[in-house]
Amino acid sequence: MASILTFCMGTRSSIPRSGLELLAVARSLSQQLGSVPVQALFLGLGVREHAPALIHHGADQVLLADHPCLERPEDEVVLGITEEVVRQLAPRVVLLPHDELFGGHVGPRLAYRLKAGIVTDCTGFAVQNGDIRWLRPVYGGKAMAYMCARGLLQVATIRSRAFEPLPADALRTGEIQEIPIPEAFSTSVTVVERVEAAEERGLSLDRAEIIVSGGRGMGSAEGFSILHELARVLGAAVGGSRPAADMGWVPHSHLVGQTGKIVAPKLYIAVGISGATQHMAGAGSSKTIVAINKDPDAPIFKLAHIGVVGEWEKVVPPLIRSFQEMRS
Amino acid sequence: MHIVVCLKQIIDPEVPFHLFRIDPVAKTQIRGSHPLVISSYDEVAVEVAIQAKERWGGQVTIVSIGTKETIQSLHQALAMGADAAILLCDPLFEQTDSFGKARILAAALRKIGDFDLILCGRQAGDVEMGLVGPFLAEELGIPCATLVANLVSSNGKVRLKRPTESGYEILEAPLPCLATITNDESNVPRYASVKGIRAAMRTPIPTWTATDLSLDAAALGQEGRIEIDEMWIPQREIRCELIAGESAEERARNLALRLRELGLV
Ligand SMILES: Cc1cc2nc3c(=O)[nH]c(=O)nc-3n(C[C@H](O)[C@H](O)[C@H](O)COP(=O)(O)OP(=O)(O)OC[C@H]3O[C@@H](n4cnc5c(N)ncnc54)[C@H](O)[C@@H]3O)c2cc1C
Ligand SMILES: Nc1ncnc2c1ncn2[C@@H]1O[C@H](COP(=O)(O)O)[C@@H](O)[C@H]1O
Repeated sequence: MASILTFCMGTRSSIPRSGLELLAVARSLSQQLGSVPVQALFLGLGVREHAPALIHHGADQVLLADHPCLERPEDEVVLGITEEVVRQLAPRVVLLPHDELFGGHVGPRLAYRLKAGIVTDCTGFAVQNGDIRWLRPVYGGKAMAYMCARGLLQVATIRSRAFEPLPADALRTGEIQEIPIPEAFSTSVTVVERVEAAEERGLSLDRAEIIVSGGRGMGSAEGFSILHELARVLGAAVGGSRPAADMGWVPHSHLVGQTGKIVAPKLYIAVGISGATQHMAGAGSSKTIVAINKDPDAPIFKLAHIGVVGEWEKVVPPLIRSFQEMRS
Repeated sequence: MHIVVCLKQIIDPEVPFHLFRIDPVAKTQIRGSHPLVISSYDEVAVEVAIQAKERWGGQVTIVSIGTKETIQSLHQALAMGADAAILLCDPLFEQTDSFGKARILAAALRKIGDFDLILCGRQAGDVEMGLVGPFLAEELGIPCATLVANLVSSNGKVRLKRPTESGYEILEAPLPCLATITNDESNVPRYASVKGIRAAMRTPIPTWTATDLSLDAAALGQEGRIEIDEMWIPQREIRCELIAGESAEERARNLALRLRELGLV
């Protein structure tokens, strides 16, 4: 029976959360469509030992490609393998993470090649008369839409953190099958150099329990240094809005929002950020959002849980002092 | 090098939430009195193209599927430094999905003929599917690099800078190829000069119709593989608790206390 096929790029050390999120989507879809089998394509180098975890999290079958060419593969290599596997298995639904590799590259090209309908950046779905309606934000999150992907095959890319992985069930059983990888893929676009940033980027946004984020209202890189101080007393990571990233006040990998990181810390402190929907798309899953803004009418005061009206120059220094006093 | 930028004009995405309206039947935003602007990543793509021209010479052409009103955005791109602009406008173009858009743009590019590099935004600033760029590369059968921020060299091949989690990487691609563009600190769009604006207004902008591009309804994939079924504006439930205090200093203290009380710090 035509399956639901999910994708996951693993590493030696771990399975990315997105791979497990897709399995949660697949299981729920499978149930609503009437027990459709769930297959997971699992790619990477040294990932074999993690394959059973995909079964514990919802896969009925894992197709494993554990190969040196998959350590940091070119986009086109992943596209080539994906296309091959999808043609052979002829699934009904392909679920991909909405990340740079799959959402930005593999998903669209795969859909084009297979004449499949595609909906990108989905945050939910509903099944109606056997049809899947994909939920996604539009207009930067100001509106929501249900979209349909028509065709024998449909592709959906799923926004990270829109779904919770299912708890691992060690009793779940399934099959693990190795799939062959062609020895050499010719690619037209190749990575010729990788440059790691020299500067200290501090705590990563993904792991931080607290994030302090700054926007255009910080005014300058110097303004941002006070946020680093605040982050230090709180053990927090530092993020920023798009203007802050474009101005070079925070590295682009610390941009929060629809086109940056989607984060979900327990506390998100937004300073000098107006609260554009595109920014809040990345911060909106935080447990508690605090806004510090001088404009009482800033939209962020309709989106944050706790607000302080005031200029950061006057609010942040005493805030740092208060936290320091609490510590000692 | 001849760079072609695919540009979409959209309703200003920065309109505040309380002024944002949709038509639930047409399933699209109502324009009202909001301005029309160049979709933000497309404006970044124009900047990238002009920077490349300044470094290595060549020319920059803008193409856009739009309406008469789109000419204003094409003038803006010309004023930033593009050399030519073409409007693709036909009633047949209005109801197409991303597959159809790619087919229209591909037909225009074949008619242009001598392009080396095509730049698209990573995603449009309205419905934001992020499909037309990769679809267009497939349609033309040319290589595709995604989410790149700039060109670093051009010498028979191009080298492209792509931001990564921990820095950046350099991609090499043969020409012709297509790249989708994302923003970074190297490509913040410039403002047009007054001189540029004057010159732009004098540049003629040809309009190409479906007939000019030998396209008919069948070729535009009216089967509609991607469809918007329903659209609505979600209710927001959060009620913000404003921290009280006479002075900013006092509010800051009260915030710290409240966060401790909630066990958040
Ligand atoms: C397709 C698309 C994708 C986008 N993706 C993203 C994204 O991923 N992430 C993102 O962040 N943006 C994104 N944007 C941009 C987004 O629409 C907004 O333009 C942006 O988030 C605004 O950033 P900001 O809040 O820092 O700046 P502004 O909107 O300019 O707000 C600055 C705020 O600072 C306040 N302020 C000024 N001075 C002070 C002071 N002294 N003390 C306290 N407050 C002060 C002001 O009152 C104001 O509210 C995207 C836009 C588009 C069109
Ligand atoms: N109407 C259009 N005219 C020209 N280019 C377009 C049009 N629509 C989309 N594009 C290009 O395709 C990119 C991605 O659009 P989308 O797939 O709609 O998110 C945009 O950033 C543009 O570069």
